[in-house]
Amino acid sequence: MDGYAGKIAYADLSAGKVTIKPTPPDLKRQYIGGRGFGIRLLTDMVDPKIDPLGEKNVVVFAAGPLTGTGIPLGSRYEVSTISPLSGTAMSANSGGVFGWKMKKAGFDAVVVTGKAKKPVYLLLDSGKAELRDAAGLWGKTTGQVTNAITDELKDKSVRVSCIGPAGEKLVLFACIINEKTRAAGRGGAGAVMGSKNLKAIAARGDLPIKAADEEQLNVIKDRVRKKIEENGIEQALQKYGTAVLVNIINENYVLPTRNFQSAHFPAAEKVSGETMAATILKQNKGCYACIVKCGRVCEFDSEAGEGPEYEPDWAFGPDCGIDDLKAVARANNICNEYGLDAISAPTTIACLMEMAEKGYVKHPIRFGDAKGMLKLVEQIAKREDIGNELAEGSFRFATKYGHPECSMSSKRQELPAYDPRGIQGYGLATATSVRGGDHVYGYMISPEILGSPEKLDPYVTKGKAGWVKTFQDMTAAIDASGMCLFTSFALGAQDYADLLAATTGMEIDAAELLKIGERIWNLQKLYNIKRGFGRKDDTLPSRLLNEPLKEGAPSGQVWRRDEMLDEYYTLRGWDKEGTPTKEKRKELGLA
Amino acid sequence: MTNIRNRINVTVKSFATLREVMDAQIRMDLPEGATIRSLLAELTGRYEGLNELIFAAPDTLRDFINILKNGRNIHFLAGLDTPLDDRDLIALFPPVAGG
Ligand code: SF4
Repeated sequence: MDGYAGKIAYADLSAGKVTIKPTPPDLKRQYIGGRGFGIRLLTDMVDPKIDPLGEKNVVVFAAGPLTGTGIPLGSRYEVSTISPLSGTAMSANSGGVFGWKMKKAGFDAVVVTGKAKKPVYLLLDSGKAELRDAAGLWGKTTGQVTNAITDELKDKSVRVSCIGPAGEKLVLFACIINEKTRAAGRGGAGAVMGSKNLKAIAARGDLPIKAADEEQLNVIKDRVRKKIEENGIEQALQKYGTAVLVNIINENYVLPTRNFQSAHFPAAEKVSGETMAATILKQNKGCYACIVKCGRVCEFDSEAGEGPEYEPDWAFGPDCGIDDLKAVARANNICNEYGLDAISAPTTIACLMEMAEKGYVKHPIRFGDAKGMLKLVEQIAKREDIGNELAEGSFRFATKYGHPECSMSSKRQELPAYDPRGIQGYGLATATSVRGGDHVYGYMISPEILGSPEKLDPYVTKGKAGWVKTFQDMTAAIDASGMCLFTSFALGAQDYADLLAATTGMEIDAAELLKIGERIWNLQKLYNIKRGFGRKDDTLPSRLLNEPLKEGAPSGQVWRRDEMLDEYYTLRGWDKEGTPTKEKRKELGLA
Repeated sequence: MTNIRNRINVTVKSFATLREVMDAQIRMDLPEGATIRSLLAELTGRYEGLNELIFAAPDTLRDFINILKNGRNIHFLAGLDTPLDDRDLIALFPPVAGG
């Protein structure tokens, strides 16, 4: 088999030792790589009863066989761990160049266990791996760490994935940042690294990554490149970036505003992708081998950075009642520098804004206060003042003050930028997501709002369960392959299967690809059940089930869980509690 | 003389690439009984280059074009035959995406 670097590094931080082993063929066949590798290794190694921030949690960095093989948009790696925020077995995805470099350094995956006595970083270097002192890096921002390691090694080709001060301070939604601006954002993997005293992983090397059938791969590469180039949606991503969604979601009256108290923000245009392109955008930028280049390099005043992407743009903007694009971009930059998830940080602030306005918490912040918002972002990252409480996420914060209904989260992880009351299938996807509140574990916005691959009525529940299952399984497989999820606007299951077959030499077709995705999904689900999750958790905040939308076309609607959940469980081969049946487990080879 | 009651007034908003060929927001005065189809005919007549951006063939919208009438996709109303009412807000979207 090929497409793989061939090795996995096991770094035992307690023992200060790294062991290198070949990547097991069975793991490749059953789980492909990326998220599949991460979840399998993690759930094999970690007792479900552990504290996610204790020594016994494990962090897995894993690329896929399609990462770094020159396939357009084949750039991704996944970080899997038990989330300190949600408690689920989760993975977070990032792009940039690091995933490719990890493979060029000789590794398909890195498994980190234990806890170092003093801060360390792990260097992957041309087939070797060593732990190095990082005492001098502690306290530094992600940009500073990246520069410091590059200087220390006197090597500009090195790529660094690291945590900022927020990860060190164990902010429950601290993220991991590579190349200064690309985030494995959700779920708090950065806090897990911080708890282990692991500041960074750096990778360098130029080992070959070969495909099993180069000639065939080139043919398929050309085919997928053409499909991506000709796809109107991919072209729009290039031109306006993800923030182009602000207007279309707002015009559909499903743009959560002021902590989901409304779903329409009259000033949306001011923080839209169109406005960004006309004002602060300097140029677009892509991950490794990307021909779409949806990244935004923005400059204004004395500030330079990347983003904001749609999610942080919405969260620091409309969800906080803020229409100041520069403040939003500044807040996003702070998240990148300190290593904070730029969805959970702003939505937790939005939760505080609502609670402060309603008098549930004594605090001067109000919706629309950009200056106050910026201060709160730093306070969270440093765990200063009220930031120390907000660093626990909106669910724990709101519950502490007796108002859990103000936390717009599912399984304790904050919801992204869409109001499920007007997008029923998306609601089901996020409520059943095996990593908590989420949009990229099954992007139902695509058919229900954007009309791809076909237009589904967002207000209808009938038939959605099947779509959600397919999208979730498909996404798990894409996340395992190493491809960027944005390829899915242009490519179908057969394209990914063909790319994988030519790259790895494995026999794989569209059905097998979906089966692997389903296996990964069920493995996460089974593990979560062992951690106490069940039917009661496959839901959304009471506001979304009980308080109808008040404006625009979806007025009067709530999210209708009961019309979809049983059908979804049945289609998945799960019982009424949402537990995979014996037959399903057997079918997927999961004991 | 046209009876004022026989005319309707709608607001049209355009987004993303469509703004390269048309105004971001305009008000249109149309005869009563106008539909999305007749509105688009009027617009494509007025703005050069718009036709190619939204139509794949006469009567067939390009893939991933989304047209909203007061926030509802016309695909789930009567498509191009969706009737327009006075003070409607029509939003025209070219293909867009994100995550
Ligand atoms: S489409 Fe965007 S996120 Fe995906 S690989 Fe390209 S630049 Fe990266």
